[in-house]
Amino acid sequence: MEHVLDVFNIGLLQNTLRTATPVILAAMGGLMTEQAGIMNIGMDGMILIGAFAAVAFSYACANAAMGVLVAVLCGILIGLFFALFVVKLKSDEFIIGMALNTFAGGLTVYLLRSIFGVKGTFSDSGIVALPKIHLDFLDSIPVLGPLLNDNSIFIYITWILVFLAWLFLYRTPYGFWMRAAGEHPESLETAGISPQKMKLLASILCGIFCGFAGAHLSLGYLTMFTEGMSNSRGFIAFACVIFGMANPPKVFVAALLFGFLDALGLRLQNFGVPSDLTSTIPYIATILMLVYVVVSNDKKKKKRAQKELKMSVDA
Amino acid sequence: MNKISDSLKKNKTYLISLALSIFVALVIGGILMAVTGFNPLEGYAAMLKGVFGSTRVFGNTLTKMLTLCLTGLAMTVAAKAGVFNVGGEGQLFLGGLAATMTGIYLQGVSPLIAVPLAFVSASVAGGLYAWIPAVLKVKLKVSEVITTIMLNSVAIYVCTYLVNSSGPLATKDFGVLGGSDAVPEAFRFAQIIPKSNLSTAIFYSAVIAFLCWYLMQKTSIGLEMKVTGENERFAFFAGLPKDKIMIWSMVASGVICGLVGMFEVYGYQTRFQDSISNEFYYDGMLVAMIMNYNPIGIILMSFFFAVIDIGASAMEFSTGVSGEISDIIFSIIIFLMAAEGGITKAFTARRQQREAKKRLRKENE
Repeated sequence: MEHVLDVFNIGLLQNTLRTATPVILAAMGGLMTEQAGIMNIGMDGMILIGAFAAVAFSYACANAAMGVLVAVLCGILIGLFFALFVVKLKSDEFIIGMALNTFAGGLTVYLLRSIFGVKGTFSDSGIVALPKIHLDFLDSIPVLGPLLNDNSIFIYITWILVFLAWLFLYRTPYGFWMRAAGEHPESLETAGISPQKMKLLASILCGIFCGFAGAHLSLGYLTMFTEGMSNSRGFIAFACVIFGMANPPKVFVAALLFGFLDALGLRLQNFGVPSDLTSTIPYIATILMLVYVVVSNDKKKKKRAQKELKMSVDA
Repeated sequence: MNKISDSLKKNKTYLISLALSIFVALVIGGILMAVTGFNPLEGYAAMLKGVFGSTRVFGNTLTKMLTLCLTGLAMTVAAKAGVFNVGGEGQLFLGGLAATMTGIYLQGVSPLIAVPLAFVSASVAGGLYAWIPAVLKVKLKVSEVITTIMLNSVAIYVCTYLVNSSGPLATKDFGVLGGSDAVPEAFRFAQIIPKSNLSTAIFYSAVIAFLCWYLMQKTSIGLEMKVTGENERFAFFAGLPKDKIMIWSMVASGVICGLVGMFEVYGYQTRFQDSISNEFYYDGMLVAMIMNYNPIGIILMSFFFAVIDIGASAMEFSTGVSGEISDIIFSIIIFLMAAEGGITKAFTARRQQREAKKRLRKENE
């Protein structure tokens, strides 16, 4: 029992927030493209490029904000690039997504070696990390205080972004059109709005969010760049989008759940469980959650169909 | 001969775009080298020298080609039936580990018994690991793309745990950093070119490649796979056992990947390490995609990719250009080939427009 309490403490929850944030950010981008009817599995590469750009420019300009800005600009560029192939040239989304991941992996390592002359990891005291926020009034609250205080600024920005994503999708005409572009592009076209443009917008938004995710990963979560540091987070974000049915608050919860499991794995390492084994937890959990969501959705659909059938028979 | 020229004619536009894509990708790679302060011509020269400079390096290139070709065919076998096996990397790791452990366990037994058993264990490990996502896909409709990617990470982490430093399967040999014990010398494949990676695995690979080609192009099972992959509903109404076809193609794909893992260890790596494969499967997958899942095309393209890949490492060694340039060149080729249809359409549309305008002008005059 004592051990259980040792594992589950405030530190665990704090780690949950830290590890979940990059996934949440990427998943917000992924749900935009998902809503617009694009299967986007290139998010991993987008995150990686964002992470590299953030570190490179934070180091070059000695300014974390510059790093984030350039990461987002790169995100916009990749979003445009992705849309050029997937929307404009109608290429296979799966192939382009996979190729984007390979491209990002190759490009970041290539640049890492030719610009910074290092192999594997670039960490330097010259990289400026994102600031941590301390709010004095939170100190007086017992549990929530230490949990919510002293986090990297991005953790707070992420919550605002989740709300904004929801607001955008469900309370603005653009969001409405974007959802229509995925669900029923023909009717959108009839209404005089180009589904292509909505898909383009979704890709750019996805790029921006992934840029943020990458910047947080390399300047907030860690303060360095490592080869392949996105570590399949883009794919986990994609899975979260599916669990949450591309609805921002639901996706947010799914990503938090993932973050919790990831943090649990990190925590168990302190108790002698080999780190390579704990690292598998989030991946296994993703598969199990995916199976659960798909099966339960299927059941719901069947139930609804049965109900409707009964109603039509009764009538 | 007639047949070949016919098929060449049919695929003329495709081949032209492929050549153009490769050319553009090499030019972009060259520009990237120039921007980062290297001489692209020197770089590419080093690349060619690194591949064709001696029989030893050429043997390494051929070995790399075999790996790419087999992983590409593994992707193809599943993709033809409409399932995307992105999990070959994990299947490769487990197949390699299973075969290695079988070899170590059977030390002293006649190779005539041990080697076939290693083949079986690698196939079973790879096949089973592919069977999981296949069943999830077919029975529960869970996207195999995500599950296979997740299973990759799981397999790689577990293997890393097992064979590294304090892991239960780690070697106790002195001076070896990580990895399992070495496979007994009697079981390893004979080397064809001394000191190179090329081993008799080339013959086994050729057999596998031939079987894949034969299965897909010449048998009714191949046709059934194709029908299922192209139109699942049609396959259902035609009375084909589409669930069975999808699961078995995925398992076959996993078996090939497992064997690739075995060939890596038995061919030249001698012990199982967590570095057994450096995303080999992803490269093979991309080759398969570029060539539209055409088996003959995959074999030819694997050679080209192997040249770039091995050449890039040689280039890194002699000129200092990072070998990752090969990944960049590959992905650009893929971007261009995936967009091939769209680009040619845009070109023809523009040409037609121009012609129409010309005609209009003539009529007005």
